[in-house]
Amino acid sequence: MSIATQQAASPPATGTVQKRSGFLSRIVAHRTDYLYVLPALIVMLVVIAYPIYYTIELSFFRTPPNLQMRDKVWTGIDNYVRVLSSPVFHEVTIQTIIWTLASTVISFLLGLGAALSLHREFVGRGLMRALLLIPYVISAVAASYVWKWLYHSDFGVIGAISVQLGITAEPINFLDNRQTVLASLIVVNIWKEFSFAMVMLMAGLQTVPDQLLRAAQVDGANTWNRFWHVTFPHLKGVSMVTVLLLMVANFNSFIIPFVMTGGGPADASHIWITHIYQLAFGRQQWGVASAYAVILFIVMMFLGYFYVKALTRGDEARA
Amino acid sequence: MTKLQGRGMRSAAPTRRRLIGRAVATVTVASLLSSTVYAQSVDLSQWSPEYVRSIAGTEEVDTAEHCASVVPLDYEGRLTYWWTGPNEASPQIERDINEQFWAAWEETYPNIETDAQNIDYNQLLDKLRTALLGNAGPMVLRLQILGGVEFASKGYFQELKPEDVGYPTADFWPGAMKSVTWEGTTYGIPTNNETMAFIWNADIFERAGLDPETPPATWEDVVAYSKQIHDELGIAGYGLVARQNAGNTPFRFMPQLWAFGGGALDESTDSPTYETVMLNNEGAKAALQASYDMYVRDKSVPASALTNTQNENQAPFIAGQLAMMIAHPAEYAKMVDLAGQATGADKEVADTVVANMRYGLIPEGPERRAVVFGGSNMHFIEDEYVDGGFDEMAAKAFACFWNSPEWSTKLAWTGSNPGNLRGFKTEWMKERLDTIKFLDVTTSMLPNGVPFPVVPEATEIMNIIVPDMLQNALTERMTVEEAADDAAAKVESLMGGGL
Repeated sequence: MSIATQQAASPPATGTVQKRSGFLSRIVAHRTDYLYVLPALIVMLVVIAYPIYYTIELSFFRTPPNLQMRDKVWTGIDNYVRVLSSPVFHEVTIQTIIWTLASTVISFLLGLGAALSLHREFVGRGLMRALLLIPYVISAVAASYVWKWLYHSDFGVIGAISVQLGITAEPINFLDNRQTVLASLIVVNIWKEFSFAMVMLMAGLQTVPDQLLRAAQVDGANTWNRFWHVTFPHLKGVSMVTVLLLMVANFNSFIIPFVMTGGGPADASHIWITHIYQLAFGRQQWGVASAYAVILFIVMMFLGYFYVKALTRGDEARA
Repeated sequence: MTKLQGRGMRSAAPTRRRLIGRAVATVTVASLLSSTVYAQSVDLSQWSPEYVRSIAGTEEVDTAEHCASVVPLDYEGRLTYWWTGPNEASPQIERDINEQFWAAWEETYPNIETDAQNIDYNQLLDKLRTALLGNAGPMVLRLQILGGVEFASKGYFQELKPEDVGYPTADFWPGAMKSVTWEGTTYGIPTNNETMAFIWNADIFERAGLDPETPPATWEDVVAYSKQIHDELGIAGYGLVARQNAGNTPFRFMPQLWAFGGGALDESTDSPTYETVMLNNEGAKAALQASYDMYVRDKSVPASALTNTQNENQAPFIAGQLAMMIAHPAEYAKMVDLAGQATGADKEVADTVVANMRYGLIPEGPERRAVVFGGSNMHFIEDEYVDGGFDEMAAKAFACFWNSPEWSTKLAWTGSNPGNLRGFKTEWMKERLDTIKFLDVTTSMLPNGVPFPVVPEATEIMNIIVPDMLQNALTERMTVEEAADDAAAKVESLMGGGL
């Protein structure tokens, strides 16, 4: 190594030592504060860190149905190989992506539309707001059962109406058909969560300065231009947060597909979480289910990383 | 969920007086058993509806007196219990008897603090698996006949035989005892056993041009009748059930599979070894083809069959929109209940359905007539997996009480039969026969009963792989041949220790 290189490398090393020293001294200075949060940290370690560690550990073992968990058999990366080479994995992954993207995008757009509509003053606005919030506050299990009956392939209300109106000759088979089941469940999911997006965006709309909108109007901007050049930029932050939260919620959705179809028929409505649940609790393949869960965890971390990068890009540029 | 609390829990440490009492009780039970253990209270070789009627009401029993000889009635302790009891879909009488049982239990053993959880049939296995992983299981458990061996093979269950709670093994169905035996050890007591029967609506049969009093004799007839009913009246013929991960599906499809000569393993043979996979033999494929013909080709069964359990068949049946189904004797009581709740024009339809409800034997196939030998068993969980520790005396008192001829009969009132065969001789059995229509038909199916394979993998085979096979074929994701071969490959892999 040349002297020049050594000289160039030295300052950061010194800086790191100083930084570390400063970091430690800050911890010492605030030791009482850390003591206060210690119980919470311990609880988090127990309920978050340990399950993650145990899931990762379990993903390297096989758990035959005649053996207790403590007698599990080491298989190395066999579970990961099985998962990644399984046709079901690919099928369920595609379904999960469709479920997540469709639910997130459509819920967001509907929520945005509803928020913009309710931002205006009109008679009955409070009532409309309350009505649109109903799907969000209804229990997901109860909503799933109601929709299951609405969709029922033999006696469902929707099917009966479509027959009565002459739209179809027979009741539409929503849930017992591999081609229609996922789309049917996505509709229920959107119905259930678009009002969450609406509430978030309504809060965001409160931050749009009224003066700017009026100034734009005075300058001759039409409704679309006012929305696109004034309102929407102000909603960027809350929109990103809303989309992130919707995506995480949809990736981890369980209740609607599980209650309404259990992942069927013939796996057509399984998404990752329901498939993991079936592997673990239905088939007791705890090791394979854990491998799935670890892969899902990694995917989520990647998504989160890139999302945060995108979210903070503007801040970094400004800095 | 039913949560029961007895009186406040006091110290369970036995006093000297109680210890002496227990010693005396033990000696008494031992002497009683020495004379009764090999004697069978009923003669299974004579089993027929007539025989069952002839023995009903011939014996009087005193449950409290008998159980006092096993565990003193003043025993102070604690009990936790999980079971699948009556729910909203159960006939009212089942719910009434359930309440009577808990009142009687509290009256008989007032010092045993009891926490009982009534858990849904389709949730109990999952909940138990999870609880046992966390050493948070109950002391006593009543589990569907299919589920026990998985936990026994893992060492979760204690060795337990009827003699441990004062009853001879000979007083239980041999097939039921087989279901609680794993590698030569008995680890449970059969609480109730039943077989289902074939139910049809005679009025629908008549309107569809069929003989109203004659059920389909074979499974081919079921397919043909279902089509005729659908074509003539535009309603569903047979109540096919094919939901995944639900016990209802194998209970209705396996009799069809066995009748055609198929099987999951070789459980339908006289001496099963559970080493041969029969899900893709010619018989199994023929049985699957029959379901395919009804669902896909003829569209003569409910389109919702893939998401239906038997509960979902009840509404269309009472509405006169479904002609045939396989169910328990309790189905009649349920239909009477539903008819009682109906009003106006619905009431008229419901009353017509009840009046035209008929029970018959499940149809034959080319190989045999078969039905699932169903029921439930009671198990004791090993101390280390029990939340709060195991109270042996409380558990034995409870097992004695529940499995007594009296309560074994009453608790199986409309849906099953007493696990303790002495129950067939009680006054309550006579009352059941007198008041429950068609009970003799379902009871007479018992000799055709085939138990599910007694292997730890049975729940996955029956609740996952078999329904998957049906769904793969009925959704045309695979051909019938492919679906059967796929299911057989999965069972082979599972039994070989793979996925």
